[in-house]
Amino acid sequence: MSLIQVDDLAKSYGRVVAVDELSLRVEEGSIMGLIGPNGAGKTTTIKIILGLLKPNRGFVRVFDEEPWDNPDIKPKIGVIYERAYFPSHHKVLDYLERVCRIFGKPESRAREVLALTRLEDAHDRTIKALSAGMLQKFAVAHALIKEPRLIIADEPTSNLDPEARRELLDLILQLHRDENVTFLISSHVLPELSRVCESVAIINKGKVWAAGSLTELSEKLGARTTRISTDNPEALGELIRKLEYVNRVEVDSRGVSVGVLAGEDEKLYEDVPRLAKKAEAKIVGIETGTASLEELFRLAVKSTQGEGHR
Amino acid sequence: MRKGRPFLEIFTYALDEDYRFPILEIFAFLFALGTFVFADFAGGYDRTGETMAYSLVNTLCEFPLMFIFVVLILKNVAYGLGGDLDRGVMQTLFSYPLKRRHILTARLLSGLGIAVLLFLGIQIFGLFLLAPDTLATYSSTVFLTYAAHLCSPALLLAGLLLLLTLRLKRGGLALIIGVILFLAGLIFSGEVTYIAYATDSDVILKVWAVINPNTALQAYYYETGVSLFASESWAPSFSEVLLYLGAGYLIVAVLFIVGYIYFDRRLEI
Repeated sequence: MSLIQVDDLAKSYGRVVAVDELSLRVEEGSIMGLIGPNGAGKTTTIKIILGLLKPNRGFVRVFDEEPWDNPDIKPKIGVIYERAYFPSHHKVLDYLERVCRIFGKPESRAREVLALTRLEDAHDRTIKALSAGMLQKFAVAHALIKEPRLIIADEPTSNLDPEARRELLDLILQLHRDENVTFLISSHVLPELSRVCESVAIINKGKVWAAGSLTELSEKLGARTTRISTDNPEALGELIRKLEYVNRVEVDSRGVSVGVLAGEDEKLYEDVPRLAKKAEAKIVGIETGTASLEELFRLAVKSTQGEGHR
Repeated sequence: MRKGRPFLEIFTYALDEDYRFPILEIFAFLFALGTFVFADFAGGYDRTGETMAYSLVNTLCEFPLMFIFVVLILKNVAYGLGGDLDRGVMQTLFSYPLKRRHILTARLLSGLGIAVLLFLGIQIFGLFLLAPDTLATYSSTVFLTYAAHLCSPALLLAGLLLLLTLRLKRGGLALIIGVILFLAGLIFSGEVTYIAYATDSDVILKVWAVINPNTALQAYYYETGVSLFASESWAPSFSEVLLYLGAGYLIVAVLFIVGYIYFDRRLEI
C-alpha cells in the first residue's frame, strides 16, 4: 500500500517553476530518500505532501486522503523540519506534555521521547535555550509523541554533530524495524541516506529524475563503480582520471574507486593492466558493483544540465 | 481522541503567547488606572440621564485608553499571529489534528476575545464602583456606546490587520500599519465635522458613521453639537443609529469572513 501517492504534481511561484510533472510513491514500511541539489523542489514537494502548499496541478494523497486542511491524517504523520519551529519560551517537557494532550497520549509519553532522543537533561530548559542540535533532537521528540506511522523529515540531521547523527539514524532504523514506521527523508548528506534508505527518488529541476532502490537505479541508469585495490593508488588514479569514459575517480590509501557507465567497465578492465604497469602499481584486486548514491546524484545533476530527464 | 481537547490546548498555548508576564499585568494596570483617571463626570454636568451615561463611557473609550486597548489587540493579532507565520510556528500548529479555521479561532479568541473581556471587564467594574446608579439605570446606553467603540476602531482595525498579516506574513510591519491607521482615523474623526461644515453637507458624516458608528451615536445624543457645523442639523433617530451600528459590524464581519476564507483555503506557508 502506498502511504504517499503523488502524480503529475506542478507548483510555481510566479514564473519560477518549483515542481513540474513530479510523480512519487512511498510504500508502507519503506524508507525512501529524497535527494536533489538546492532548489530542486524537495521542500516544495514535502510541503505539498504535508498540506502546507497547494499544488497548481496534480494528484496528492497521503493515507489515501487529501492532505490540505485534513486533521484526520495528522496523528499518523510525524514531521521533522530542517529548521525546527516551536514557541520559544515554553519549557521542553511542558510543551511536549501539551503535545501529548493534543494527540490524546498519556503525558508520560513526553518523558519517553525525551529519553529516546537523549534530551532528558534538558527537560527543564526553555526551548529558546536549546542549542541548534538539541532543537533538532527536540523536533524529533516532538514528531515521535504521536507514535506516527509515517515520518516526513526534511534535512533531519542538518544541525547535528556526528554522534547525534549516528544516533538519529540508528533511531530511524530501530523505529522502522520494530514499529514498521515509514520514512520519507530529504537530505543532502548522501552517505547517511545510503545507510538507512531502501529506495531513493532523485529530484532535479522539479522532476523526479529517477527512483528505485540503489541496485535498481544502478541498473536503470547504467551506473557502476569499479573498485581497484592497489599498492600505488595515487599514481594509478592520476592515469585513470585521464580516460575519457570515466565519470569519477576517488583515491584512498588502499585503492581507487572509478565511476563508469554500464558497458564502459569492460574497457576499464582492458585499460587497467596497461595503466598499472605505467604507474608501477601492483593490482591486488578489481571488482565492479552498484554505483554509490553520490555517483547517481552526480549523474542526475549532470544529466539535467545537458541531456534532459530520464 | 476528544475533539475539543486539541482546540483547548491551542487556545491555552495562544493565551500563554499573548499574555505572558508582564503583558497581562501591564495592560490590566493601565486599563484600571485609566478608568479611574479618565472617567469624566464633569462633562456630564449640563447633561442628564442617557446623555450623561453616554458621555461617561465615551470618555473611557477615547484616546489614550482606546489607543492602549488597540495596541493590545493589534499586538495580539499582528504580532502574535504574524509572529507564528513569520517564525514558522504555524507549520508546527498545522501538524496538530485541528482544522485551520479552529486554529485561527483559538488564536483570535485569545488575542481578541480575551483582550475585549479584559478591557470591558475592568472598565465596567470601574464604572460599577464609580457610578453604580448610571450603570444600573442606563445599562442599554452603556452597552450601545461600548458596542460602537468596539466596532470601530478596535474590531475594524483588527479585521484589517488580520487580512494584512495573513497577506504579508510579517507581524511587525502589519502592527506599524495598524497604529498608523488608528492615528489617521483618530485625526479624521476629529476633522469630519469641520469637513461637513466646509462642504455644507452632512453626507461625509453619514459615510463616516458607517465606518465609525460612534459618530451616529454622538449625533444622536449630542444633537446640537453636530448642527452647529452642518447647515442642516443631522440628528439620526435611534433606529438609524442601530442601522449604522449594524452596518459597522457588517463591515467587520466581512473582513473577518474574508480572513477566515483566506486562512482556510489560500494561506500557504
